[in-house]
Amino acid sequence: MHVLSEYPIKDTLVSRLDVRLKLIVAAALLVMLLSAKGVAFPLLMLLFSLYLCLRLGIPLRGFLLRFSEPLFIASVVLVVKIVSSGHDILFSIQVVGITVTGYRDGLMEGLAIWSRIAGAVSIIITLGFSTPFAELMAGFSWFKAPKDFIEISLFAHRYIFVLIEDAVVIYNAQKNRLGYSTARLSLRSFGTLAASLILKAFENSQNITTAMVQRGYDGNIPKLIHRSFKRSDVVVSLIFLTAAGVMAWRV
Amino acid sequence: MELKSLALRPQRCGLVVMSLLLSMFPVNAYAMHISEGILPLRWSVVWFLATSPFVAYGLYRLRQMSKVDLSFKPLVGLMAAVVFIISCMPVPVPTAGTCSHPCGTGLSAILLGPSISVLVSAVVLLIQALFLAHGGLSTWGANIMSMGVVGSFAGFLTFKALRALKINMTAAGFAAGVFADWATYITTSVELASGIRGDSPFLPLFYRLVIAFVPTQLPLGILEGAMTAGMVVLLYKKRPDLLVKMRVLKPEEVAI
Repeated sequence: MHVLSEYPIKDTLVSRLDVRLKLIVAAALLVMLLSAKGVAFPLLMLLFSLYLCLRLGIPLRGFLLRFSEPLFIASVVLVVKIVSSGHDILFSIQVVGITVTGYRDGLMEGLAIWSRIAGAVSIIITLGFSTPFAELMAGFSWFKAPKDFIEISLFAHRYIFVLIEDAVVIYNAQKNRLGYSTARLSLRSFGTLAASLILKAFENSQNITTAMVQRGYDGNIPKLIHRSFKRSDVVVSLIFLTAAGVMAWRV
Repeated sequence: MELKSLALRPQRCGLVVMSLLLSMFPVNAYAMHISEGILPLRWSVVWFLATSPFVAYGLYRLRQMSKVDLSFKPLVGLMAAVVFIISCMPVPVPTAGTCSHPCGTGLSAILLGPSISVLVSAVVLLIQALFLAHGGLSTWGANIMSMGVVGSFAGFLTFKALRALKINMTAAGFAAGVFADWATYITTSVELASGIRGDSPFLPLFYRLVIAFVPTQLPLGILEGAMTAGMVVLLYKKRPDLLVKMRVLKPEEVAI
């Protein structure tokens, strides 16, 4: 569960920026990245996001850890494109009796996708690091996301951390009793752990509802109130988006 | 000559490439989600549009169920938390020498029904995208389609069909877990192939992607099946009343 680690972030322009503007900027950058044909703009976004994360106080290791999964998939896609797309032969090698042919045009297409993934993932990583989940949900609600969806997302996020604690206790107890010493036992222990979490989820949902009803819950969360936009936040966002748009168009 | 030999053996070629990649990247293979940025804008929009009726129907069902039972929304939220935790747990995949993770949608579909399970997947995928960089916002629609819609319906229908044929809980749970997982991964391959193919034909790329993910997803599906069966059976033994409440079992089945 180390991947869920949250880092204390420094007070910077990005962390202070209105969450609704952050969502608009992130969405606009994603559109630019997904439409990008070359590798320069996505790689620029990657470097810029890395700089912002380091300014926020995120350790480089934390940034790279979040990159490991997209990097794996991006690399699979790159290799699949090299060996499956194109006509201009780049190399041809024998691997365990099979001829593997790589294509130059496949490599270029693969690199474009690879850089797009790197750029887009870095934007989302920056958004995730700089904004608490509850704030993001408040931002989504301003964009008229269904309130039932917001409500269950907030429940889920809150109880992930509660249930993780239960899961760690059960896991340690199982491990101390050699519950993960063989593959068969591991499977059984994992099934028991997951089923125990489901039972806890059922029990907790009843207890939470009782507690919430006593505090006036009628099946709906109170309406989220949004403050008005700060002029400085809007100006900064507009300048940044214009600069990014020009870069996306020129490079 | 080289082109011909590759064309004749694309599956074997894909397998070799995948094996090389797995040895190059000793990281967890979270192959179930499509990463941010892989799909071009056009395909991202297509999958969002394709998924939205299922999410809308899920929300409608959630509202209906919440009117009857106030604890239903907290329960769905907590189930999403459980699915999130399950899907973050690394499972060793011996054939690939790496780790992957179960998706958990088969189980949530059995317990909550496929339409609510779509919502659970949507919530889990959103949190994973924002805080773990697994999946993404632009690929959210595509991932909901594979994990939430196809995975949930495949798991649920398999379970219901086998139970209707009087197959026991263990076998029905196992098959539901296996088919939910494999259906998810085949849909992911369809989405990836259609998104990244460019000018290349769809089918050869689709076959290569399917085969590229076989070393992790084939054994993982079986592991997920075993875990789903274990969870369903444990719930049946410890709290059959919950399974009746969730309409997984009929009251008379518990009485027997």
